[in-house]
Amino acid sequence: MIDERMEEQASLYVLGVLTREEAHAVETALKQDAKLQQLVSAMMISRDALAGSLPQITPPLTLRQRVLEQVKAPEKVVKFSPRTEESSGGWAIWLPWALAACLAIVCAISFSQQKGLRQKIDAQAKQLTELDQMADALRDQTQNLKQAVATLQETNRLASLRIAMLNSMLEDSPKAVAVSLWDVQQQRGVFLVQNLKPLPADKDYQLWVIDPKYPTPVSAGVFQVDAQGNVRLQFKTDKLIETADKFAVTQEPKGGLPVPTLKNLVLIGG
Amino acid sequence: MSEPALDLERDTELLRRIAGGDRSAFARFYDEYSGLLFTIAVKILNDTKEAEDVLQEVFLQIWNKAGAYDPLLGKPASWAVTLTRNKAIDRIRSSQRRSKLIEQATMEAAVSPDNSPSANEKLHGRENAQLIRSEVAALPPDQRRAIELAFFSGLTQDEISQTLQEPLGTIKARIRRGMLKLREKLEEFI
Repeated sequence: MIDERMEEQASLYVLGVLTREEAHAVETALKQDAKLQQLVSAMMISRDALAGSLPQITPPLTLRQRVLEQVKAPEKVVKFSPRTEESSGGWAIWLPWALAACLAIVCAISFSQQKGLRQKIDAQAKQLTELDQMADALRDQTQNLKQAVATLQETNRLASLRIAMLNSMLEDSPKAVAVSLWDVQQQRGVFLVQNLKPLPADKDYQLWVIDPKYPTPVSAGVFQVDAQGNVRLQFKTDKLIETADKFAVTQEPKGGLPVPTLKNLVLIGG
Repeated sequence: MSEPALDLERDTELLRRIAGGDRSAFARFYDEYSGLLFTIAVKILNDTKEAEDVLQEVFLQIWNKAGAYDPLLGKPASWAVTLTRNKAIDRIRSSQRRSKLIEQATMEAAVSPDNSPSANEKLHGRENAQLIRSEVAALPPDQRRAIELAFFSGLTQDEISQTLQEPLGTIKARIRRGMLKLREKLEEFI
């Protein structure tokens, strides 16, 4: 039987507001009382659920890379154990041939890598061209909206604020629409979406900022929409954005990708 | 949506593998809980840059201390939440933002219900996340306020009592009743 005083201490322990000595006393009691363990564990789960009911803020993708890099296992060090050749004459004869073979292999690998790299650059350039073409196609349709945004921009006293309207590229969500506000000085923005269809659990929407300075769009994080298809979020990018030329949203696997999947383009505008 | 018992089994196994230096298990644990932990850190610190630093420190600690995880002190997810909360609060205390914090805590009314996606959607499924949110919102405001101040603000019991202008005994009783109610209501979903 857990008395009221212990229930109180357990609650305060779970919320982290006990002094060090009080917390230690609860932990000692926990080791001897299975019912108290159950109570504390259940309260912790409730506490986590309460914290989890806050609107989720997704950490940037680069943070994941940083976190994973900091725990990189040290490179395996292969001990070099020179073998003693029985006949130094044989070693001396084969050495020039071995060196020549190594050089040939290195040249072949280098050529292959260069070719692969060129193909990648070509593919990314093609993707950017396609993105530009899509933006051009939308330009006519969004003329009125752009004029409204331009008026807003003119009247906005914050000269560094970039406002963009994004329109749907989806046939099944034609009413989806978004507005992106980007503060060039603060390097952060606010993004509002309406009428975008919710995604299955294994997918995320990913927001991109297109700055001509960079060869590929810059990720501004992933997000989900609520049951009504709406969301409002604050975002930042990992790279310095000088000119937020366009904004785009793609549908990506959970957690997002470093480069957008253009065939899954959902919203775009600038 | 996943079963709580399976989650516990999976997370315990992940921590066991992390303790053995398994980076893929570590990445999986990160993918599962970074959203929840980052949300908590941002809520406490009100600064995404600092929250990023906290999250990085927390995951480094998980990597280094996974072998020391004690199931008696809660589920792996709860352990990670506690680490995050404590690191964020330590950061506030060390940066002497205390008076600002009290001011902020005083001004901030109870968090209003919001329809944007929460970390619970990923962890408990969309429907359950809605139910959890409703139950949290249904807590009596005075109990919920005391619980939120205790967990997110870093204030001591006395400071919470002063902030809410209620005797310490009242605050403790409020927190106890609120936590028991929350446990009772949420037991069937999580």
